Amino acid sequence: MSVLVVQGLSKSFGGVQAVGDVSFAVSPGEMLALIGPNGAGKSTCFNMVGGQLNPDKGSVLLEGKPITGFSPRAISRAGVGRTFQITATFGSMTVRDNVQMALLSHHREIWQFWRPVAGRHLAEADALLAQVGLEAQADRATGVLAYGDLKRLELAIAMANRPRLLLMDEPTAGMAPVERVGLMKLTRRLATERGVAVLFTEHDMDVVFDVSDRILVLNRGVLIAEGDGDSIRANPAVREIYLGTGATSGGH
Amino acid sequence: MLLSVEGLNTHYGRAHILQDMALTIAAGEVRVLLGRNGAGKSTTMKSIIGLVRPSAGRIAFDGVEIAGEEPHRIARRGLGYVPEDRRVFADLTVMENLEVGRQAARGGMRPWTPERLFELFPNLGRMRDRPGERMSGGEQQMLTIARTLMGNPRLVLLDEPSEGLAPVIVEQMANAILALKSEGLTILLAEQNLHFAGGVADSATVVEKGRVVWTGTMKALRADEAARTKYLAV
Amino acid sequence: MDSILPQLLTGLAGASSLFLVASGLTIIFGVTRIVNFSHGSLMMLGAYIGWSIMTRLPREPEWFVLGVIATALLTALIGVVLEVVVLRRVYRAPELFQLLATFGVVLVLQDVTLWLWGPVELPLPRGRWLRQFVDIAGSRFPLYDLILIAIGPMVLGLLWLLMSRTRWGTLVRAATLDREMVAALGVNQRTLFTTVFALGAGLAGLGGALSLPNSSANLNIDLTVITDAFVVVVVGGLGSLTGAFVASLLIGVLQAFGIVLVPKITLVLVFLVMAVVLVFRPNGLLGRPQTDAREATVAAPVIRAAPPELRALGVAALLLAVAAPFIVGEYYLTVLTDACVAILFAVSLHFMMGPGGMASFGHAAWFGIGAYAAGLAMQWIGAPMPVGLLAAPIVAGVVAALFGWFVVRLSGVYLSMLTLAFAQIVWAVCFQWVDVTGGDNGLLGLVRPEWAHDARVFYWLALALSVGGALLLRRMLYAPYGYALRAARDSAARARSIGLDVQSLRIVAIVIAGAACGLSGALFSYGKGSIFPTYITISHSVEALLMVLLGGLQTVAGPIIGALVYTGLADILVRSTDLWRLVLGAVIVLLVVAFPEGIAGAARRLWLRGREA
Repeated sequence: MSVLVVQGLSKSFGGVQAVGDVSFAVSPGEMLALIGPNGAGKSTCFNMVGGQLNPDKGSVLLEGKPITGFSPRAISRAGVGRTFQITATFGSMTVRDNVQMALLSHHREIWQFWRPVAGRHLAEADALLAQVGLEAQADRATGVLAYGDLKRLELAIAMANRPRLLLMDEPTAGMAPVERVGLMKLTRRLATERGVAVLFTEHDMDVVFDVSDRILVLNRGVLIAEGDGDSIRANPAVREIYLGTGATSGGH
Repeated sequence: MLLSVEGLNTHYGRAHILQDMALTIAAGEVRVLLGRNGAGKSTTMKSIIGLVRPSAGRIAFDGVEIAGEEPHRIARRGLGYVPEDRRVFADLTVMENLEVGRQAARGGMRPWTPERLFELFPNLGRMRDRPGERMSGGEQQMLTIARTLMGNPRLVLLDEPSEGLAPVIVEQMANAILALKSEGLTILLAEQNLHFAGGVADSATVVEKGRVVWTGTMKALRADEAARTKYLAV
Repeated sequence: MDSILPQLLTGLAGASSLFLVASGLTIIFGVTRIVNFSHGSLMMLGAYIGWSIMTRLPREPEWFVLGVIATALLTALIGVVLEVVVLRRVYRAPELFQLLATFGVVLVLQDVTLWLWGPVELPLPRGRWLRQFVDIAGSRFPLYDLILIAIGPMVLGLLWLLMSRTRWGTLVRAATLDREMVAALGVNQRTLFTTVFALGAGLAGLGGALSLPNSSANLNIDLTVITDAFVVVVVGGLGSLTGAFVASLLIGVLQAFGIVLVPKITLVLVFLVMAVVLVFRPNGLLGRPQTDAREATVAAPVIRAAPPELRALGVAALLLAVAAPFIVGEYYLTVLTDACVAILFAVSLHFMMGPGGMASFGHAAWFGIGAYAAGLAMQWIGAPMPVGLLAAPIVAGVVAALFGWFVVRLSGVYLSMLTLAFAQIVWAVCFQWVDVTGGDNGLLGLVRPEWAHDARVFYWLALALSVGGALLLRRMLYAPYGYALRAARDSAARARSIGLDVQSLRIVAIVIAGAACGLSGALFSYGKGSIFPTYITISHSVEALLMVLLGGLQTVAGPIIGALVYTGLADILVRSTDLWRLVLGAVIVLLVVAFPEGIAGAARRLWLRGREA
């Protein structure tokens, strides 16, 4: 059964259609890439699944239950983790605090005013940090982390909630090529191990064709192609509006 | 040398970002700064244009020492800066954005006008009165470059112009840069997309943790399999 | 019915004056991102300078125009000096420190004006043309008001032309969006900022001079005008000139009719309108969401437990405080009791401002509500002190919950402005509802029970409650709630994505801060035995801000140190000089320039130097 089912999702801004009648589904452990030109409606689609935007039409089902139009918080509670295009972590906390924070929220322990945070869910937090390879940096401030490490921290924070679905908006934006593939391989491993469905947008074709199981192509708010790497690469419409000749994107 | 940077050191708070950074660019050359995120590419550019004050080092532009000068003075000497993440003025129209960048023409160069820029970026010519916020990412990126060219710079610092753009737009960007190069413009490019850089640059400087670890021509970099594997992992 | 037209015209004339001040404020904010508290002071200076110039000129209209223009130019010049000497040095400081610096300027200018022109109101002798009337629809209407009505739209038109049709205007609008980028394109930011400030100050001076025929130059103009101007700018939308104009009309007319229809609650009416506008349009009528001014921002440092040395120092200080009544005399015991109150006042503001990320310009509201709750409980049901001390935080907390529900959706400057507005409403109610609150005369005869009659015993009580309260708040900050509150401040988007309820976290922070502050207000009242509306003035709110910002936002010890330093400083100043405002203002400005992260923040940085990996 699919983790995420999106049906007939539509959204207009001021009379201009940003997304029109988009439908797709993601299975457990599957990595689905959403690509398309700038302004094709990828972010709008993403934000409707994540709860930042309310769709005009259509439905979003998570494990069969509707989450259409829920607030980002409710969607998180329902089992959706997310990472942001521009990294967003809690800057006034250490790396470990960041994960502890997510764990406290997951265990519904936020509204406690007395017992200090220090020492709570330590083992679980450290295990998550170890999974993304950040155990050595647990006590550092997030502000001094390298960019690639911040991205991995975001992944650990998102996984703390034991999500069924992971939304990643341009997860490798701003990273060096070698780090990009590393981060997505890590995501791939976590997704497979835990059966998490992953939906991500991306502009790096190396990453897209390397790690995704399936690719959706959006143009002007409409799905124009869907399939595996080879069929997308061979699709003349996709070449025309998005991929180009491949001269500047590694021959894809 | 049009620009020569020597022993440049820059700190953010206590973090030592640039450590004895050095590079040179001859007039008419396109040099690319390669390196991963956080290696110091953007900081190098910001230090050159004066947005970040270097703690030590020399930056000579056309023989004049400019390190420590204010950004607007450096810009007026003929140095253009195109930042990463496309900072167009969102409320201003295309024409107004260009107006902000306008500086007097420099001797010996054909001055840039909006009309000439629209030949280079035909898309922009079709949306003269559109505010920046209603343009797509690719159009915004072209506008930031056009806006900088309005200052008639001799050297342009281009910070990751391909980042976050669709491959087909990146191709257009590469063609625009080649066109600028043929006009005789000198360009320092920061990139992570080696495919893109390879198509436009003459020479490369690879940085890692704020230091130069490799420098040479693009041709030499293509031949140096070991360097590419070691520093760029491709 | 026949009073509607004249009232409307009066309102429109008032709107023009409001617009002159508000337009300058909004332009300056747009470019420099500084909420210029001293803008009202510039208008006050304009009024005084205008008086000095025009009383020396013939009373003909052409001389009046000349005098007004000269005044505007002189005020613009003062603006330039102000920008170059003070503001230019704080552009890179955090927003609130900038605000504090401009409030320091307010204090300095107050004393300078007093020193130059004296305390007496200065009316402008009016020439004959200023006393002329025009017949409109059967009623006589002052010619000068009609002129004022015309000036508003004229200035708007000129400003619009300036902003949209000149290169300078284009550069100003660009700098409003991204000043760093403007500099990188070869534009001299300094000149741009100075000229913008000169324009804003000139408009304020113009407003001051033009106000002379209808009201005299006096020392209250600064804070009255700045409150009105804040309201106009916020209702119109920060940075929007047209918005400021529309809001001026709205507020001007509302004030004119309010004075006739509901004279007692005009102020309340104005602020209610502002609250309603902000609830429906959180960015004002024509405003847009605020983006950061794109400067390199420094992330808040990691909060870690205080070093053991600091804990030891704290314990030692506490022991000293407990023993103090045996060491110091009666006078200093009073000062120390005030310091205890100040600590709770400051710590409670820090709670919502530091970890909560919600700056309040009106924290004195909770102080006053707590005080009046205790006072009225005694007056109505004869409640003794322990009941009063319990009622104060409860009442303040309940009101804070209602208020929090309104403001929690607003962001940054808007939320701060609304806290200021709310404090002004509370002040107006306490000041104007004489039957209940005693108005200006206050509530007197708040008695302490027998056991707490002795000043030493009361001091110990105040110390226990204040230190206990501070420790309790600190405890909460290290508990999951405090972490979650900080998380919501650091990144609201990330906080929501891990399932945190950002709005509820913030409302609770406002309630806790309000309750703790209410307790400090009640404590203060029992110490003095009386309650006055002055507890709720803007200056009192700014005192709380000063304490917190002097101490620094990043540490829990900060507000405590700030409260102690401020109480001591104020005590010394008030006793040693008549020009205490001038000295205090100058000290504030110097501190902001020297320690943009506060005293405790600077000490912490020195302490941690080289220790943070």
